[in-house]
Amino acid sequence: MKKSLVIFIAVFVGVITFLPFLWMISASVMPSGAANTFPPRIFPNKFDFSHYTTLFTRLNLTKYLLNSMIISFGVTLFSLLLNSMAGYAFAKFRFAKKKGLFKFLLSSLIIPAQVTMLPLFLILKNLGLINTYWAIFIPGMASIFGIFLIRQYAFSIPDSLIEAAKMDGATEMQIYLRVILPLCKPILVTLGLFTFMGTWNDFLWPLIVMTDANMYTMPVALANLMSEHVQDTELMMAGSVITIIPVLVVFLALQKYYIKGIMMGSVKG
Amino acid sequence: MAEVKLVDVSKIYEEKNKAVSSFSLEIKDKEFVVLVGPSGCGKSTTLRMIAGLEDISEGEIFIDGRKVNNVPPKDRDIAMVFQNYALYPHMSVYENMAFGLKLRKFSKSEINERVSYAAKILDIEYLLERKPKQLSGGQRQRVAVGRAIVRKPKVFLFDEPLSNLDAKLRVQMRSEIARLHKRLQTTIVYVTHDQVEAMTMGDRIVVMKEGIVQQVDTPLNLYNHPKNKFVAGFIGSPAMNFVEGKIVSEDGLKFVSSQGTLTFQLNPKQSEILSSYRDKKITVGIRPESFSAETKYESSVKTKLEFEEQMGNEVYLHFNVDGKSCIARMHPDVQYKIGDEINVGFNNFAVLFFDNAAGERIC
Repeated sequence: MKKSLVIFIAVFVGVITFLPFLWMISASVMPSGAANTFPPRIFPNKFDFSHYTTLFTRLNLTKYLLNSMIISFGVTLFSLLLNSMAGYAFAKFRFAKKKGLFKFLLSSLIIPAQVTMLPLFLILKNLGLINTYWAIFIPGMASIFGIFLIRQYAFSIPDSLIEAAKMDGATEMQIYLRVILPLCKPILVTLGLFTFMGTWNDFLWPLIVMTDANMYTMPVALANLMSEHVQDTELMMAGSVITIIPVLVVFLALQKYYIKGIMMGSVKG
Repeated sequence: MAEVKLVDVSKIYEEKNKAVSSFSLEIKDKEFVVLVGPSGCGKSTTLRMIAGLEDISEGEIFIDGRKVNNVPPKDRDIAMVFQNYALYPHMSVYENMAFGLKLRKFSKSEINERVSYAAKILDIEYLLERKPKQLSGGQRQRVAVGRAIVRKPKVFLFDEPLSNLDAKLRVQMRSEIARLHKRLQTTIVYVTHDQVEAMTMGDRIVVMKEGIVQQVDTPLNLYNHPKNKFVAGFIGSPAMNFVEGKIVSEDGLKFVSSQGTLTFQLNPKQSEILSSYRDKKITVGIRPESFSAETKYESSVKTKLEFEEQMGNEVYLHFNVDGKSCIARMHPDVQYKIGDEINVGFNNFAVLFFDNAAGERIC
């Protein structure tokens, strides 16, 4: 009895959560105006894929999709490289003021991102990087959260492995590349997913630094679409579907490692 | 192969915290030297300083005549086997063994040849494709040794390599490492806390306590002629029995324990050396194997049997002398019951005398 109640609640919550997602997909293939009828429909009467065609032909979404891809993959790669180096160093290297420096970095987590946006924008503007990919790459290169995550994971790597590599003749760089990075794979995948999804879905920062319409990312382009085609719900939903597909694909493909990473981080950290 | 020389080597972690104090030792080419001592005695720190994994606070280390104080581990031409094996979990056994050679840019054929040779002598050829997690403890240990062998280093360092193995495997690996040493003819520095390992494997043993070398000698000399009470108690299993008392004059010189449970006449040689200790406190050490149930010895101790440990090939009798627990190792046929009054004889020529204050052996 108790079990079936739990299952019922779980299914109910699942359906409620899934409903908007389902409606988004469903509305994206409804004919124009069908999504706004009353009573609202959950499934389309007739399938109409013209909105997808419109997005890629008239509205030139390919360009924005490409921007989002370059930015998300770029930020993810840079952040994995730098965060893993810093996290490994904080976990395994001995250097002066290590603990103090790490505490200082952690304490900066309490500063809201919005507070840093203006000074960051001004710095990038002075460097002439506004409306370039670097305006998003550079601020996203390292994150305290990423460093923390890698550091906690790297603690679980025995020192003797690093020492064995030293005895085997490896340089510090070779130890990092050939021993530490492969061992950190689960946590790197987790951090990579977080970063990729975060960057892909980020709206505010690309909106601030990408003022040129050619440099828009998907969420910014989609927001623009909303203001221009406010009545066209089906077109909006088609745009939303296109936006979440890459994230969904990456997430599902790496799900195995992602869960492993989260678990290992929590247990061994 | 090479000699290793340590001259007044010290490791100081923080002020006043000396992990190793003025360690000096010359390890000859092809020699198997074992560093032994209880936890925290500085044996592993010494090994790590030889390896280059710890900085040397004071003193000098030479490998093959070259001072290596500031030489990084990779350039010292040494290999080390770690306690927890330290195999790279993401690499196969073959890759683990070949890693060092690849980094040193050996040709593929040379790597192949060396790995195959090492795998053959360690009998792990059939494991080469497996990952470390698919291996048992003993197999992992072999791979770790194999990884060291393929490099053909000047010196092998072993840091408690057998302590993670079960008792049976430990005995097996012990003899394998000893055999390997004979076969490879290499200089080996081996760290262990297990005195049985030290006794059975080492050409010479370095006994350490609290960062200080207590004695460096061959296994038999350590057993028969320990320099002090610590070495006497550490070497030998079960450990030597110690009883405090004093030397008194009574028909010649006699040892009488504090509560009088143990008394025996000193032999002429002991009397001569110990004459200056008359009426002074002194400690005697009697090895468990020096006791006998037979009445062939003049000296004996009357006591009550507290309990016994039957080992099959021998029996350990536990009894009290002056309120201190003592052990006698005897033939398994000895038939006593717990609580029996027993009279165990001992060979007083095998009794060692220690200065009570410094713990040094007098004779």
